[in-house]
Amino acid sequence: MNAQAGIEQLQRSKGAAHAGFALSDRRICLRELHQSGSAKAIVLPGPAPEVVFLNTSGGLTGCDRLDYALTLGPGCHLTATTQTAERIYRSPGGLAQIGVRAQVGAGAHLDWLPQETILFDHAAARRRTEIDLAPDATCLMAETVVLGRAAMGERVARTAFTDWRILRRGAVPLHMEVLRLCDAALRMGAAGLDGVRAVASVILAAPGAADALGPVRASLDVDGVRGAASAFAGRLVIRLMAADAWPLRLQMVRLLSVLRPGPLPRVWQC
Amino acid sequence: MDSATLQLTHWLSPAFPTGAFAYSHGLEQVIAQGAVSDAASLEHWLSDVLHHGAGWQDGVLLALALEPGADLDTLDAMAQALQPSAERLQESTEQGAAFARTVARITARPLPPRALPIAVAEAARPLNPDPAQVIALYLQGFATNLVTIAIRHVPLGQGEGHAVLARLLPPITALAARAARAGMEDLGTACLGADMAAMDHETKEVRLFRT
Repeated sequence: MNAQAGIEQLQRSKGAAHAGFALSDRRICLRELHQSGSAKAIVLPGPAPEVVFLNTSGGLTGCDRLDYALTLGPGCHLTATTQTAERIYRSPGGLAQIGVRAQVGAGAHLDWLPQETILFDHAAARRRTEIDLAPDATCLMAETVVLGRAAMGERVARTAFTDWRILRRGAVPLHMEVLRLCDAALRMGAAGLDGVRAVASVILAAPGAADALGPVRASLDVDGVRGAASAFAGRLVIRLMAADAWPLRLQMVRLLSVLRPGPLPRVWQC
Repeated sequence: MDSATLQLTHWLSPAFPTGAFAYSHGLEQVIAQGAVSDAASLEHWLSDVLHHGAGWQDGVLLALALEPGADLDTLDAMAQALQPSAERLQESTEQGAAFARTVARITARPLPPRALPIAVAEAARPLNPDPAQVIALYLQGFATNLVTIAIRHVPLGQGEGHAVLARLLPPITALAARAARAGMEDLGTACLGADMAAMDHETKEVRLFRT
């Protein structure tokens, strides 16, 4: 092993957190909680409980590994999010790996609403989000990726970021999108990012998802944000892009208020 | 040229009845929005879609579906799940169904309807083709259809439009060679603008094309 590889192994952070829930007396109860390394899962109790995942390492870089997992038993309705934006820093070599797994049981519903992922210049990461829905389970998922922080004058010109988002119903893929950002992709024109700094994808997987298309399209009106939506094959897909993260977040908040009843996750409100 | 190559060229030519002429892959929308307004902007847009959008994605799916022992049902489900909008799903599945129907009729093989890249791979498998060649012909067909649409609707001169296509052929050859060697892990797109144009197209009041 050379010296560089030795340093990377020493600095490498690792974390895994898994929270499992079951319905008992019509209340959602935490049944399982495993946490290791830099990953934590905090359960905010209440009539609509929330799970907040947290990476105590303060961001990811080359060869770091972070895994979050959720199990929702039959009938559980739950919101899960992350405590803060996840930062993916310049990689000294190697890919940071992030895994998100959720099993959503019969008649259960998951809102997976992580906060933004911020890529720094030379960030290298691979994330794989896999949500398995029971035949009559439903799910709302929102992912925002931000390229550098505008306020800090950061520009991302180099990255290797692959973001797999897979929703399956039974064992069959229901929705898949694989965002693959590389240096050349960052330079694309109108077909690609066209110089924007923030992009988001929102997916509602539910039998009646198409019913929300009209109200969703009507809500895509925040200044400085381009938005588009389509409903098909048991899913509603919404895409957003904006020159900066802030208007995109305002649009996301507005959109989520149309797509789900009740207030936003508590950590989103600060 | 051997007869298998000629057969593939026939199947992947614009004359083959897949109904490709009805699908603009969002190009009608970007022409209306002004993002594609001349030969240079067409070339940029098409090159991006080929390298970072449906071109690369379909190329990789085709390569996966040509592998020995490929599970075509699973790949077809994936190909459909990967479509970003209602019209793009229709573009892939309806052309795939028409393609399979016509090849089934010609070859007397039972070919089920599938997303287009999987339908093409399933039809081509008995010919033991060079995957890079099938993918190159497939991508050339895709690009030719969009250039033809651009010539009529930007509009562009025939020579100007076909010069764009000619300039894209060397990159298509290189892209097809890369896609032929790719695995599942190499899937991925970044053509978010093109995907959103396809979504916007659904709300366009007058539509000449289905995408």
